[in-house]
Amino acid sequence: MTVILPLLFLLTAISGTAVVLVRDPARQVFAIAVNGLVLAILFDALQAPDVALSELAVGSAAVPLLFLVALMAVRAQPPEEES
Amino acid sequence: MSPRVRVALLALAGLVLLPGAAEVIAGLPPFGSTIAQYGARINAITPEARHVANMVSAINFDLRGLDTLGEEFMLLAAITGTVVLLRGRRGEGTTGRAMRRPGRAVIPRSEAVVLACRIAGPLTALFGLYVVLHATVTPGGGFQGGVILASGTLLIYLGEGYAGWRDAIRSHWLDALEGGGALLFALCGLVPMLTGAAFMQNILPLGTFRDLFSGGLMLVENLGVALAVTGGFTQLFLEFMEETREADAPEEPGEESA
Repeated sequence: MTVILPLLFLLTAISGTAVVLVRDPARQVFAIAVNGLVLAILFDALQAPDVALSELAVGSAAVPLLFLVALMAVRAQPPEEES
Repeated sequence: MSPRVRVALLALAGLVLLPGAAEVIAGLPPFGSTIAQYGARINAITPEARHVANMVSAINFDLRGLDTLGEEFMLLAAITGTVVLLRGRRGEGTTGRAMRRPGRAVIPRSEAVVLACRIAGPLTALFGLYVVLHATVTPGGGFQGGVILASGTLLIYLGEGYAGWRDAIRSHWLDALEGGGALLFALCGLVPMLTGAAFMQNILPLGTFRDLFSGGLMLVENLGVALAVTGGFTQLFLEFMEETREADAPEEPGEESA
């Protein structure tokens, strides 16, 4: 456990920074999903399986899907029809 | 607001908030130390008092059930607000089926994706049901299970495309799910009052420890939360996808859509 926790904190920091640094929205969605996954593992390691399950369901599945759908909807809009 | 004012505001907020935050952090028990006293007491009391193995459920749905009821209605209000925003001028009358967007290409799906979604969708839904039903014995519960159930419906969308998804999922069913779930939760608080008990008092038999049917009212409340969350999240997806689509004119029904 002594090695795992610092490693997970490091991964959380790296993936969280990646979410901020990645500028392309489509890639950012996947960065958020990865960050959610890392956080879920961290919560599980800290003995909070309830929170881990919530984070896994919301942070790495539902929210990225919602963002992807919104992005798709925005891209499908042809620019000439905007008025 | 100019960038300078923003930075000044941030500095001001930091001046106010940071000393308090530092105080609280200094007062916390050291990281990784033994479980907090409150947790230890809960662990000692709840198995006997409520016959449930999942203490988090016992706190969320029984000891502090009123808080969860408030959260439930927060979720309801948030989703209602989002739906009102996204529907905009489309209004209410046009949500029965997939809306057509002129010139929108139907994206072809590979058969592998369709097959994977047809296998994974029902399995995901089954797992969601499992998480909801085992709220009092395993980590998880209504909220987590509800989100998993909603992801299950999204897998149908990935596999079958938007038109197929809308054929299976009706907007007013989702409204009923969401509102009905919240109503069920509220009734769990009100019905005990009819018997002379307090608001949200656990009047159902508590069952045996570690049994699926333990915890009495907690199971019903979890079911309410699961219904509301499944309906709410699916409704959100639906409204996001519908947002950029124009409403069909009523005289051309039943057209294929992307």
